[in-house]
Parts: sequence; structure tokens; C-alpha cells
Amino acid sequence: MNDAVAVAASAVTALVGHRAAEWDRAGRLPTEVVRKLGAAGQLAPQIPTRYGGPGWSSADTGEFTAHVGSLCSSVRSVMTSQGMAAWAVERLAGPAQAAELLPRLATGDTAAVAFSEPQAGSDLSAVTTTVAVDGDSLLLTGRKVWVTAADHADLFLVLARLGEGGAVVVVPRGAPGVRVRRMADPLGCRAAGHAEVRFDAVRLPAGSLLGDGGQSLSLLATTALTYGRISVAWGCVGILRACVAAAGEHAGLRHQFGRPLGRHQLVARHLAELWAAEQVATRVCEHASRCWDDGSTDLVTATVLAKYVSAGQAVRGAAAAVQVLASAGAQDGHPVARAYRDAKLMEIIEGSTEMCQLLLADHVLSRW
Amino acid sequence: MTTSSDRAVPETAGGSDAVQAELLRFLTARTRKPWTADADLFASGGLSSLFAMELVVHLERTYGIAIRGTDLRLENFRTVWRMAALVDRLRQPAPGGRGE
Repeated sequence: MNDAVAVAASAVTALVGHRAAEWDRAGRLPTEVVRKLGAAGQLAPQIPTRYGGPGWSSADTGEFTAHVGSLCSSVRSVMTSQGMAAWAVERLAGPAQAAELLPRLATGDTAAVAFSEPQAGSDLSAVTTTVAVDGDSLLLTGRKVWVTAADHADLFLVLARLGEGGAVVVVPRGAPGVRVRRMADPLGCRAAGHAEVRFDAVRLPAGSLLGDGGQSLSLLATTALTYGRISVAWGCVGILRACVAAAGEHAGLRHQFGRPLGRHQLVARHLAELWAAEQVATRVCEHASRCWDDGSTDLVTATVLAKYVSAGQAVRGAAAAVQVLASAGAQDGHPVARAYRDAKLMEIIEGSTEMCQLLLADHVLSRW
Repeated sequence: MTTSSDRAVPETAGGSDAVQAELLRFLTARTRKPWTADADLFASGGLSSLFAMELVVHLERTYGIAIRGTDLRLENFRTVWRMAALVDRLRQPAPGGRGE
């Protein structure tokens, strides 16, 4: 970990302290925590320096994301949303839009990416939210669900239909016709501020389409999700690190039948598999970040692979950690209990395990 | 869509011959099947939007261009002709010239 990353990691450790359990049970992050991270540029550390961001590499951002994920998956989830929004702006916006939006996202304004709809999850071609040109302005209508970090967002980046093509529309939270309703009790990342967001004939300036719109829906989604997947994958590494720490400590200290738990072979196997899971996930994420930093064409597949492998390892690793801690960890708010619920959600968002498998199989079929 | 993957998109040739040749080599190496410069890469039986993203990264890295904003539409990557035309349009003349 380089110095800047280590300093930021220490700051987040101090900021979160021992409060992640309390946030998980309350289902809400304190606003000042999100604001503080946003103002420090730590929600989206890859925003380039020319836009006022930290300009970190994917590798450094990944290590930082894993650290945050080891403390609190809800905070990490807010980071993923902000980073994905910033990346979408960087890729899709025109120069003037990027110069207007990215410095805001680097210094305090928070953004949420609104893609999923009641009938459009994995199949984003089924999106029905529509933006239309109406005179010299735009009119946006639709309903988005499972919008991560919506509770804290100043801006929404909304995937919508525009004529025959697609568009990402930038919508200020305060625009008339925008309604945000918090989702009650999500399975995991409970404090990440998931919400349903409705857009009822929201009137917006013509310049609200990123890059004038008209891109293909699938390419828009793939672009944003490439960042989202690598971020989620590193978040899973964090989940696994928290599980290794909790299970290792407990198995060394607690005695049953006259010896430490870790000296019982069946428990020892859990520890070995948990450590292997953390190492495998770390390596596959490092590879994806190296592809990102090198501009390699392998990036796209490596990102799907990292997300798929890390989420699966996190689910199995978190289950093993709960098993090792048993009654000591089987309570809401405990790190391994949170890991167990948070990891399962990681197999669903940003491309389910099954969608990742289809993409990886497609990669095999196209190459061999 | 019932057309085959090598369906020709009705259009005229675009972009420099050198860029076209390099892209055809890349496609053949990556997919292990032959392509023509006018073949529709994304027609039924063709390539995925994930592959389109790979093409974006390949073009940016190989030709030192940035494909952003409105240029990120699938239509720009549908054929080798269109990609070569996009490269020609976005390529900045480097100091001292960098002609074909």
C-alpha cells in the first residue's frame, strides 16, 4: 500500500471506528460520514487530478476499497456508486460536462447510478424509463429500484431510452418530480441507503444527457458496470479479510475439549479454506486492476472474472467464518454476520453470478 | 434478427487501409475466425457488447485516441470500416506527423 493510500485507510479506520455494527442495525449511515469521505475525495479516488480528484490507479483504489470493505460494506457500497458515477461521467460526458461534473464529484457532491427497474434487472434492454426532447428541454419519466446510495445522493445518473437508443441522464435530486423512497431492510449492505426513485415528468435542461445521449443501452451499461464490478470485487476481498481476522482470532483464543478451536482438524480446515479464499480473490482482483492500469483489452473479461470469483469466494468464506465463530458471531451487527449477509448481496448486484457465468462462457466460445 | 454474422452492412469503405488491416488481424486473432471489413460484428451469432468494450480499449491503446461521449455508440464499432473511420477522425496529428 503506498503512502497516500495508507493515510486514507487510517483516516477511514478512525472514522468508522466500531460503529459499523450500529449503522447496520439502524440501516443508515450518518450523513456526516458520507460527506466527510466525499469532501476528501475518498468516495471516488480514481477521478483524475486534472478534475480535482486524487487520480489514484485502479490497483491503489482497489486496496483502499478492500480496506473500507473490511470495515463496513455499506460505506464501501456508497464508494462503489460514487466511483461508478464518476467513471460513467469520465467516459460518456462531453469535455464541458466532465469539467463541470467531475470536480463536484471529487470534492463533496454524491451521486447514485439508477439502472435497475421492476422489470429490467439483468436484462437492461427491457428498461422503460424514457427521456424525450421536449422543445428546448428534456422530459424524463420512469421508476428505478435498488438504487444504491440514493438516500445520500445529490445527483442521479439515470439509464433511459432516448428514441431508438439509450442515454444516461444527470438528474439533480431536488428537481421537481423526483421522489426518493428508502427501501426497508435490504438483506445486505443495510446502511448503504438503497431506495426506489421515481421520475414523474421531470423537466431538465437539454445539456443533461451525458455526451448528448443516443448511445447503445448495452454499451452504456457495460461501461458503467466495468467500474462497478471491479469495485464490488475488491469489496469482497475486504469482506474476506474481515472474516479471516475474526475467525483466526476466535479459533486461537477459544478452547473446547481442552485445546484451541483451531487445533481441531475440522475447524482448521475452515481456516485454511477461508485464507485460500481471501488469497484467490486478492490475486484475481490484482490482475483485473493491472489490466485496467495497463489499458489491456483483457480488462473487460478480467473484471467480470474478478467479480464472479470474489463474490463466490466471499459467500463461501463468510459462511465458514460464521461456522467457526458459531454462537459468538451469530448476531446481527457482528462482523461475520454482516459479512454473511453482505456477501450474498455481492453475488446479485453488478451482474449476478449467473450473468457473469454467461459472459465468461461467451468469452470462451468466442475465442476457442 | 435472422441474418448471419457475416452479413454486410450497406455502406462504403472508411478509414485507412493500414488501420483496417490491423483491425482485421486483431479480430481474427481474438475470435479465431476470418472477418471482412464490411461484416456486421454484432449481428446474430456475432460478438457481444462486452466485446464491443474490448474493442474500445483496443482502439484507444493502439491508436492513442480517447473514445468518449457520443462516439461510444455501437454503430461506430459495427464494422471494421466504421472503426477505421472513427480512428481516422479521432487521431490527433502528433508533433512531427504520424502519417500512414
